[in-house]
Amino acid sequence: MNPAILDFIEFSLAGLCVGALYALTGIGFVVVYKATRIINFAIGEFMMIGAYFFFGLAAQAELPNWAAIILALIAAGTVGGFLERFIFRRLIGESAISVFMVTIGLASIMVGLVEIAWTADPRSLPTFLPDQPFFVPLGSAEAFLASKNGWSFIIVAAIMAAFITVFRFWRGGIALRATAADQQAAYSVGINVPGVFSFAWILGATTAAAAGILVGSISGISSAMGAIGLSVIVVVILGGLDSLAGALVGGLLIGWLEAMASLYIGGEYKQVATFVILLLVLVVKPYGLFGTHDIERL
Amino acid sequence: MRIGSARQTYAADEAIFKTNVQRLWFAALAVALVLLPFVASDYWQLLACLIAVNVIAAMGLMILTGFTGLVSLGHAAFMGVGAYTAAYLSNHVALPFWLTIPAGGFVAAAVGAIFGIPSLRVKGLYLALTTIAASFILQSIFFNWPAVTGGARGLSIEPASIFGHALVTPGAIYWIAMPIAALSVWWARNLLRTRVGRAFIAIRDRDISAELLGIDLLRYKLMSFALASFYAGMAGAVWVYLFRVITPESFRLLESIFFVAAIIVGGLGSVRGAIFGAIFMTLVPEFLKIGASDLAPYWPDAVKLLSPVRTIVFGALIVGFLMFEPLGLNEIWQRTRRRFALWPFRT
Amino acid sequence: MRSDRRKILAGLGAGAVASTFPAPWVRGLRAQEASEIPVAIASPMTGVFAFAGIEGTDGANHFAQYLNERGGIAGRKLRLIVEDTGYQVPQAVAVFNRLVAEYKVPLFLGDSTGFQKTINEEVNRRGLLLAGASFSSEIDDPKKYPLQYMPGPSYSAQVGMLLKHIAATKKGARIAFVHSDTEFGRDPIAKSEAYAKTLGLEQVEKIVTPPGSFDVSSEVLKIRRARPEFTIFHGYVMAPIPEFMKQMKEARVETQFMGTFYSSDLGILQKMGDVADGYLGVNAYNYVNQEGVNGPAMEFIKKANGGKYRTNSYLQPWTNLTLGTEAMRRCLEAGKEMTGANLKAALNTIKDYDMGGVIGVPISIPGNSLGVGRIFRANLKAGKMEPVSEWIKAEA
Repeated sequence: MNPAILDFIEFSLAGLCVGALYALTGIGFVVVYKATRIINFAIGEFMMIGAYFFFGLAAQAELPNWAAIILALIAAGTVGGFLERFIFRRLIGESAISVFMVTIGLASIMVGLVEIAWTADPRSLPTFLPDQPFFVPLGSAEAFLASKNGWSFIIVAAIMAAFITVFRFWRGGIALRATAADQQAAYSVGINVPGVFSFAWILGATTAAAAGILVGSISGISSAMGAIGLSVIVVVILGGLDSLAGALVGGLLIGWLEAMASLYIGGEYKQVATFVILLLVLVVKPYGLFGTHDIERL
Repeated sequence: MRIGSARQTYAADEAIFKTNVQRLWFAALAVALVLLPFVASDYWQLLACLIAVNVIAAMGLMILTGFTGLVSLGHAAFMGVGAYTAAYLSNHVALPFWLTIPAGGFVAAAVGAIFGIPSLRVKGLYLALTTIAASFILQSIFFNWPAVTGGARGLSIEPASIFGHALVTPGAIYWIAMPIAALSVWWARNLLRTRVGRAFIAIRDRDISAELLGIDLLRYKLMSFALASFYAGMAGAVWVYLFRVITPESFRLLESIFFVAAIIVGGLGSVRGAIFGAIFMTLVPEFLKIGASDLAPYWPDAVKLLSPVRTIVFGALIVGFLMFEPLGLNEIWQRTRRRFALWPFRT
Repeated sequence: MRSDRRKILAGLGAGAVASTFPAPWVRGLRAQEASEIPVAIASPMTGVFAFAGIEGTDGANHFAQYLNERGGIAGRKLRLIVEDTGYQVPQAVAVFNRLVAEYKVPLFLGDSTGFQKTINEEVNRRGLLLAGASFSSEIDDPKKYPLQYMPGPSYSAQVGMLLKHIAATKKGARIAFVHSDTEFGRDPIAKSEAYAKTLGLEQVEKIVTPPGSFDVSSEVLKIRRARPEFTIFHGYVMAPIPEFMKQMKEARVETQFMGTFYSSDLGILQKMGDVADGYLGVNAYNYVNQEGVNGPAMEFIKKANGGKYRTNSYLQPWTNLTLGTEAMRRCLEAGKEMTGANLKAALNTIKDYDMGGVIGVPISIPGNSLGVGRIFRANLKAGKMEPVSEWIKAEA
């Protein structure tokens, strides 16, 4: 097979697997935005605390990995719910920008707390994924896919399937969609809107924590790992802030674009390339690929 | 309690100083600013310079965010543009500082206007997030254009000089930084009284209504971006003369967030807020640091263990102000003033 | 309710201000005891380099204890004043200005290359000695940085040692560089590429990773094609080195991994897991748990830490202070004033000096850097770093 084509396929596979992780985090972001219209700039820090909870439970308290993962997700969800109840619910009615800044402040607080609890040392997470790489057969050649990338893709796909089911068929998911569509109407048909807000934050925080554990198992964890949140922000703006499908497509697209930038331009331009694409897309589609257009009335 | 006003014309109503008492206080402030370097230690002179730089930059962001309602998370990157411009012109063209500083402002304004173009279609939070893109793209240029920016190593420059006398110490740079900061404030305050300033505020309050009133959104939004970046560029240029070394890592997203935090803590939508915010956010971390090091003789690990607390306090200030005092320090100031003005009655 | 909160907020603000009273606006130079010599340290205790700053602070404090137990500096006690910089230049400059105004410090330890470059002229003007955590090749230049020194070989000297080791192991070997897109990461690369060429090594790939990127799979694909026999990491502490090594192993690339000072610490390598076994790293010091290392300093360190492992960032300020205080001692004994120029001159007279076990050979510091290093191999099963070379002298 032509090596240039093989390169393209291999890099695309790697990029899509990373993109799946972006998509998962993106969903954690979009769920919160959809229900509450809050831009959660602390999304990277939610990933970080999820990963640190897992680290504390699995490596320090020496629980089995599966138990540690479940407890870490529950703990992260609790943090999300707690923040919603005691901070964000009190800010209902404030301008979107103020609430956005509150999440930036929270990000800083979370970093400080993690540094106090676990120090700033970089750490590795215990391995819980198999380390057999995938070799995807392509005619005469084989494309290499690193084990963690492949496995995280599979895990993310499973979580996504669960999400779609929940949103289509479960009452709570439908309540969330109804609240997103029209809060007043949701109230009037008897939906517990504050309950939906709490649910969205719990779900968002849990999803981000799951992504954090997966990312942490790839790159290790440190108190600075929240910086990944920026790539996620790119993903959700590109996809449209309030679209789950947008987060999915945006995530895969950004992951793929990064791999392409790395193949054809050079690794140092990875992030910049995605930002340039983002600006270009926004000039054409100001609400991202799948975002809802706000209709402005006077 | 003060007695009523005698304002009879619009001009009098719009005047900055309405009473002689205000003029007196202002004169006292001016004298204090002039005397400061003669009484302060080197450390306080440096902090005064940093505050001046931050006041200039925060003032710019206040015009963009506080007056026009466009949030930017790329402000520090525009500071970087100004800083690199000043450094380049000083090194390669040997221009004196009184030309390079405004030049830094103008180049930053041009770059800012370019990155402001998406604001015409992209609004609100989408815009805030896209300005992050500006921050990253500019930083990548700083890194990868060694001919102009010196690449990863950055640039160093000769100190500013006046009549052959090199301005090396923070105490000397103070005489550049403080007047520029004062001018910036004065100019921003006056801007609010002009057609342009009122157009900005109309856009902030409701841009569609503003357009219906005949305000050209394209023109004024870009103008606001350019003005804000001009301020940032000047601040960056002064910064360069203060530190005399610039690396691409000097102006990161974190610094942009610092400025947004400063104007929120200071109080959005007021000139005074930008000043208060810049002073407060510069001094609080320093005070906490001094507090921790004063504990060191009694508690040897104080500095080590209390350092993450500063990160927490930075976040807690943002959250605390937004939750409990959303109008910021400016509101506290006005409340205090009202209390004195109404004395002996209580509000 | 609301006014209560305001009161709380006001109280907090007032408390913050009050806690700093008597703050330095009323202080000039603090009263200083003649029996003490103060040394100021600006150390990153928050931010990305916090792990190194915290470790280094412990090292500095232990050194002060060690030195003062042994009679101090010509009879005067060493006193340290440590401050956090958050690894940010403006903060570090503020710390410098404050501490230099408050104490008459003959020696200041900085936190980063950026700071050491920024403050250079101020240091020359004030005339004091400056050292720090930076191994920047740029600062290793006595002409441009006359009053500075560094506690080990510069980054390009470190990579040079690795390259020489490669050339001695295998003629014309295929090598690859992997570095981060930061000032730290880019520092030695251009010089090292040229040096590799003169050694007759074939550079087959150069990978640049943006800071903070967690995924390296596409980089691994690239390097997999190039099949280097030796891969040199620079500009990282931990991430993304472990994942890089794991994926390279999965992709069945047989390559020898190598790295410079910050990614050659045993503690960091142990956290990377089994893949780091056999990794070759350059260190400027002995490892704290290394066998057969004797000397009063190393024994003190082992005792003071009760057998706890300390990273090489711990030994960095230790070395800086050893050299700096030795220069002060020489100055005082010669009856000279402790100015920067005198101290630097005294520092440069240090010849064949015994570091008490911290470094395996007697050292000299003719210019700005302490130019010795040694290559170690990670033997993680034994929990040790084993030397694979003698102590190597850096070539400019």
